[in-house]
Amino acid sequence: MALLTAPRGPRVRRTAPEARLGRTIALAPAVVYFLVPLLCALAFTVGLGDPRQKPSLDAYTAIFTTDGLAQSLGLTLLLAGATIILVFGLLLPALLAVRLVAPRAKALVAVVCMLPLVVPAVALGAGITTVLRWATDWLYDTPGFPLLASLQQPAFPVILVLAYALMALPLAYTTLEAGLNAIEVKVLVEAARSCRASWFRTLFLVILPNLRDALLNTAFLTIAMVLGEYAVSALLGFQPFAVWTVAISGSHAQLSVAVSMVGLIGTWLILLAVAKLGRSKASKETS
Amino acid sequence: MTAFTLDPRPASAGTAGATLEFRGLRRAFGATMALDGLNLTLNPGEMLALLGPSGCGKTTALRMVAGFETPDSGEVLLDGVDVTGTPAHRRDVGMVFQSYSLFPHLSVTDNVAFGMRMLGTPAARRRARAQELLELVGLPTQGGRYPRQLSGGQQQRVALARALALEPRVLLLDEPLSALDAKVRQSLREEIRRLQLELGITTLFVTHDQEEALSIADRVAVMRDGRLEQCATPEELYNSPATPFVAGFVGTMNRLPGRLSSDGALVDVLGLSRPVQGSLHGRDGTADVDVLVRPEALTVSAAPDGPAQLVAASFLGATTRLTLRLHGGREAVADVPTTHASTLPTGARIRLGLPERPVLIDQARNEETTA
Amino acid sequence: MTLTAPGAVVADAGAKTRRQEPQAPGRRAARPSAGWLGVIPLLAFAAVVLGLPVAAMAAGSITTTNDAGGTVFTDANFAATFDGPYLESLMGSIRLSALTAFVATMVSLPLAYAIVTSRFRGLREAVLSASGVIANFGGVPLAFAFVSTLGNAGVLTGFFGLADKGWSLYTFWGLAIVYLYFLVPLMVLTLTPALDGLKPQWREAAQNNRATGFQYWRHVAFPILFPTLLSGFVLLFGSAFSAYATAAAMVGSSIPLVTVKIASALTGDVLVGQSNIALALGMDMIIVAALVIGIQLVLQRRTSRWLS
Repeated sequence: MALLTAPRGPRVRRTAPEARLGRTIALAPAVVYFLVPLLCALAFTVGLGDPRQKPSLDAYTAIFTTDGLAQSLGLTLLLAGATIILVFGLLLPALLAVRLVAPRAKALVAVVCMLPLVVPAVALGAGITTVLRWATDWLYDTPGFPLLASLQQPAFPVILVLAYALMALPLAYTTLEAGLNAIEVKVLVEAARSCRASWFRTLFLVILPNLRDALLNTAFLTIAMVLGEYAVSALLGFQPFAVWTVAISGSHAQLSVAVSMVGLIGTWLILLAVAKLGRSKASKETS
Repeated sequence: MTAFTLDPRPASAGTAGATLEFRGLRRAFGATMALDGLNLTLNPGEMLALLGPSGCGKTTALRMVAGFETPDSGEVLLDGVDVTGTPAHRRDVGMVFQSYSLFPHLSVTDNVAFGMRMLGTPAARRRARAQELLELVGLPTQGGRYPRQLSGGQQQRVALARALALEPRVLLLDEPLSALDAKVRQSLREEIRRLQLELGITTLFVTHDQEEALSIADRVAVMRDGRLEQCATPEELYNSPATPFVAGFVGTMNRLPGRLSSDGALVDVLGLSRPVQGSLHGRDGTADVDVLVRPEALTVSAAPDGPAQLVAASFLGATTRLTLRLHGGREAVADVPTTHASTLPTGARIRLGLPERPVLIDQARNEETTA
Repeated sequence: MTLTAPGAVVADAGAKTRRQEPQAPGRRAARPSAGWLGVIPLLAFAAVVLGLPVAAMAAGSITTTNDAGGTVFTDANFAATFDGPYLESLMGSIRLSALTAFVATMVSLPLAYAIVTSRFRGLREAVLSASGVIANFGGVPLAFAFVSTLGNAGVLTGFFGLADKGWSLYTFWGLAIVYLYFLVPLMVLTLTPALDGLKPQWREAAQNNRATGFQYWRHVAFPILFPTLLSGFVLLFGSAFSAYATAAAMVGSSIPLVTVKIASALTGDVLVGQSNIALALGMDMIIVAALVIGIQLVLQRRTSRWLS
């Protein structure tokens, strides 16, 4: 210890070397595990993995020409948009009401929002199929029948929006709750109301802007979920993006992997860009 | 390292305090110097308050004693032994943090007994000693509760008991009262002082609250920008500040315009002549200086031709603080007995007086008052 | 605090309870119904979209259509699910989910810690957003990625000649490797807020009380994280248990999984009349999930009295 008493030169970085080593040991295998399958998938799509094949980008150019892809992707994005609107429309009033006027409903809302976790997607799909089948029997030749049919239009199956919204509830609830916990909703509302803002303006000019990050996060994770959702759509016999990619995987293996990777990596990049945009905007606001 | 042995003496029997010494401590965070050559010695059993505005390096110095920061150069000595390289968990010091440092998942008793558990003390003895400490800090019946069930003041008492549990040689208090309500703060600070005197433990108390520092410590060290400005007893610090910064930071100080006599021994202030006690600055040859006067030293009386005007009065209980506008626009504050202040209406012309005592002077500044 | 919430952040000791200002009782009582107006659409939605299918499933699982075309009660559906290939698939799913959830929980802790303590903000952001996408986008792309990596014609399979060494992706362990790919990100997401909630003062207070680094983890950090680890494990178990897309997209998978069995029974791949057995299997799944959450709640209550 006596050796250490001599004055030492200034050191700027102070992360202990063993901590850095520990980080590397923890992260390196994870990086390999998470990157290799993606890289291999990309290699597969350009034909690098198979010596019998000549490397080409055909799978990617085919994305723009293959029948059905644009259709299924368009349907999926439409469903995703409708799902996001429905989720926000259901959750925001409930969460705000819990904070502002009905604190006793908090536990109930929490339980209801987490309940879908108990029902696996396949079971939900099975349940919905059963309900639709019985409803068809009961409602046949009644005015309710067209309504039932419109729920299941292949062009825009409302029933899927309902199911997706239910499945997105737990995630949306936790994300929005975290966002709301970070701001003092009650104080904001009282301040806005005392400045003569109507309820409408309070919501759109005060609360929602403060929740922007949570709302964006919820929206993009919901899009990711809808893009990847397979079980319920497949059981109900619709063909959105994920079901379509599986359906063509037999005949167009490279294409199906290629669109999956584009979807996965594309969603990630958009999410990252949104986060970056939000951050630079936030830092501009504070400076 | 000294091995820990659970001392059979009751905690109140008093531990022999250690000497704590800072020698030339330097530490830079990027471009800012948190500590710029700090030299300071705490005598055994002494309570020393490190006082200064935020960012002055006081917390960095304290954390170096605890072992959470390493100096770029310089050393920390405990009873003459350099502990600069000793890891935090083997230093013989107890620390109370600013707030919420209690382990939330452990009961109050388990929090206090935590250190003993780390050292492998048998459970029964841990519990007995924890109970003893809880009695010492006035929480004999709270042992079974969890931190979040306690008030802020109670939590800090538990933190104090935990810091004292291993009978450390030095007690470190890092703004332990800053998160508490004014009333709790005052009673807890008296309690801390009582305990410290009873145990005779060398204590370093970091705070930005000058009133707290003056009321609790044997000596107060005022820091600014990583340097020590002055280290003295509270009385000395208040009555003879060594630098303008200390004068302004400790208590309230009026700066009144004055004119120095040609030999520099007398100063003309408020139309009165007073001997110069000392100057906080080297003479720069000009005769215009600021005279430093505490609010309670000013006397006021109503006078139709008085040079000052009463601008505002704020009631403080037995005294009232008057804000006065001087000729030339400067402001001064004066603390006078409330019975007297109530006779003076706002807007009244006022004559100011000073007792016949030597005064401190400083370079003239173009400020009004320094709070 | 909802114990099932994945992000159940470590509570700020003390601060939370005291911040709750007393509610003016008169004000709340004056308009008891207005507040519920905002909550009712959500409750109604859940009752219809979740309640109806579950009720239908429950009804279907205990009935069958007899020869006359009428509906009669029966316990045959459930009996069938506890026998032969159905039981095997149920147990297979439980084993696979428990194993992968446990491994992912253990692996994610050091990973999430390394990410949270990293100096690079970019790394944290990139990893968390990637985790969000992978955990939610889910099964199909991952199945494809692993098929093209380690499948029969996969890049690595060919490169290292794994097929000759007896490797097959379409086994229990192969599926486990794929499942970890979405479970680990999910756990990292769950753990991040809890790790952020670990206050630096706790570590310093522990050190100040003579705790070594290991003792800090053993006596402070781990117990504080335990409720989150537990609820995270349950969340992971549920995700793995209900995963269907991965297995479905890995065509040729011969691992008996309950989700695959339900789907094939429903879509009539097997005998007609099996659909009510599928419903009973669905009910089995719900019961298993509910049981696991129930066990979690009991454990949680025992280990985290300090939270309430």
